[in-house]
Amino acid sequence: MNIIETHSLSKFYGKERGVTEVTISVKQGEIFGFIGPNGAGKSTTIRTLLGLLTPSSGEAMLFGQSILENGHELRRRIGYLPSEVDYYAEMTSRELLEYHANIYGLENVGEKIRELAHYFELDLDRKIADLSFGNKKKCAIIQAVVHEPELLILDEPTSGLDPLMQNRFFELLESRNTNGTTIFFSSHILSEIQRLCDRAAIIRGGEITAVEDITTLLAKQMKKVRLVLESDAKVELPEGAQNQEWLGNKVLFDYVGPTKDLLEWLGRQEVVDLTLSEPDLESIFMNYYRR
Amino acid sequence: MNTVLFTKELKRNRKNTLIWTSIVLAFTLMILSIYPSFSHMGEDMVKLMSSLPEEYAKAFGMDEATWSSIIGFYATYYGIYITLLMGIYTASTGATIIGKEERDGTAEFLLTRPISRGSVAGTKLAVLGALFIMVYLVQTLVAVIGMNLFGSEIAWDAMVAMHIHGFFLIAFFTATGVLMGSFLSVKLNYMGPIVGMIFGSYFLNAIASASDAVDWLAYLSPYHYMPLTLEQGTLEPNLLACGAFTVLTALMIWVGYSRYLKRDILG
Repeated sequence: MNIIETHSLSKFYGKERGVTEVTISVKQGEIFGFIGPNGAGKSTTIRTLLGLLTPSSGEAMLFGQSILENGHELRRRIGYLPSEVDYYAEMTSRELLEYHANIYGLENVGEKIRELAHYFELDLDRKIADLSFGNKKKCAIIQAVVHEPELLILDEPTSGLDPLMQNRFFELLESRNTNGTTIFFSSHILSEIQRLCDRAAIIRGGEITAVEDITTLLAKQMKKVRLVLESDAKVELPEGAQNQEWLGNKVLFDYVGPTKDLLEWLGRQEVVDLTLSEPDLESIFMNYYRR
Repeated sequence: MNTVLFTKELKRNRKNTLIWTSIVLAFTLMILSIYPSFSHMGEDMVKLMSSLPEEYAKAFGMDEATWSSIIGFYATYYGIYITLLMGIYTASTGATIIGKEERDGTAEFLLTRPISRGSVAGTKLAVLGALFIMVYLVQTLVAVIGMNLFGSEIAWDAMVAMHIHGFFLIAFFTATGVLMGSFLSVKLNYMGPIVGMIFGSYFLNAIASASDAVDWLAYLSPYHYMPLTLEQGTLEPNLLACGAFTVLTALMIWVGYSRYLKRDILG
């Protein structure tokens, strides 16, 4: 079953583009990455899914139901962590979380709130106005997970968190995912996507440019090749080789193409030494953006 | 209506309401408390009145009845101060009660909870109605107590008519605030336009009353249809205008509510 499904979802702000023809599907129990730079349309997509924005065209479904028909009931099953945290400044974190719990009709969540606050080292009795961005983010994380939603929608979730808290947050996500929570993880930090996600969509200029398994994304992409040949004579490099650099009998190049073809080409060469390095997601990301 | 949100909104507006209610009550008591000094002047006040320019007296609804009874005295100032103050309070609250969440960025929190937009808007409008009625009733009660304290007897017919007109006028201003808030940017400071609208309405009617040459201006002012001052010591409720104002008020609230349901909440 798809927990999130969009078909040709578009949003325009007047004549200005928000997102165009976004089609994605997120399966139950999956951690789905949503990668793109600032302004690519990640937040617009999320805000449309949550009913904050009305789609200009296309369709968006959560749990198999249209967001336009029963959005508020669907939101009962969702935890949302925004990128920017703007909460009621006059409240303490405890008051905000109790308010959240009351809206969801939750009872006896005091202990759970205390446990999560202890885990993230958040002082519940400080006013939100007095909290740093990182502490506001911790409060936002707690409100996103405290009602144990079936779907977590996270928009740039780690901004403001120090590495220790990021790690605790990832552990919490992994634990929730093991228990069946589906996670939609929007970020421009690719190492986070690489660590957590099963699949990812890349969005650029409001359009989805790729939806792939993380492993496929890595495999299909550029490889860095460092080769030492027996002679100084330059040989013709395989199709898909880019950015070649010759230094005597050594050659460095980037390879984009089937691995099989590269291996066949290498088999025909007098190779003394070979280093193949996997690209990081950053390189993949940039490669997609060049297209 | 969502009771959790209703309670939260009442609490959130508590301080502002307390301040405005205190101001309105202070004015009410101040007006009534100075009446005995004027009434003791008796004939002197009537002479003073006759020395005032006729246009000035007409503009502010002053005649001999203003000084001869506490209800006449109160009616003159009810229009000048009380409806203006209460109108400014409820209209500014109406303009911001929904949009404030967007301006402060908290709309994203609220509207991603399992509450429909209709329920959010309906609850906030219910809070607005509750605050309006509360301030209105407290002011009316204090006015009645004050008249008993500082006057002799209350002309109930005129008092009821005046406060019915006051109710519909303030409700109309409140709805105008809601409508304004639904059309204008949430970042705008609404106080200027609201004060301008309410004072403008009052003074349009005052100017029209003062001069026959521009008496048509009165038709542009809601005060014309809902007179608050007494004529010859009496005032009858304008039931036709009350009906028309009810329809207009409901229409403005409905338009404001409908716009809110469709509005994009930008980050």
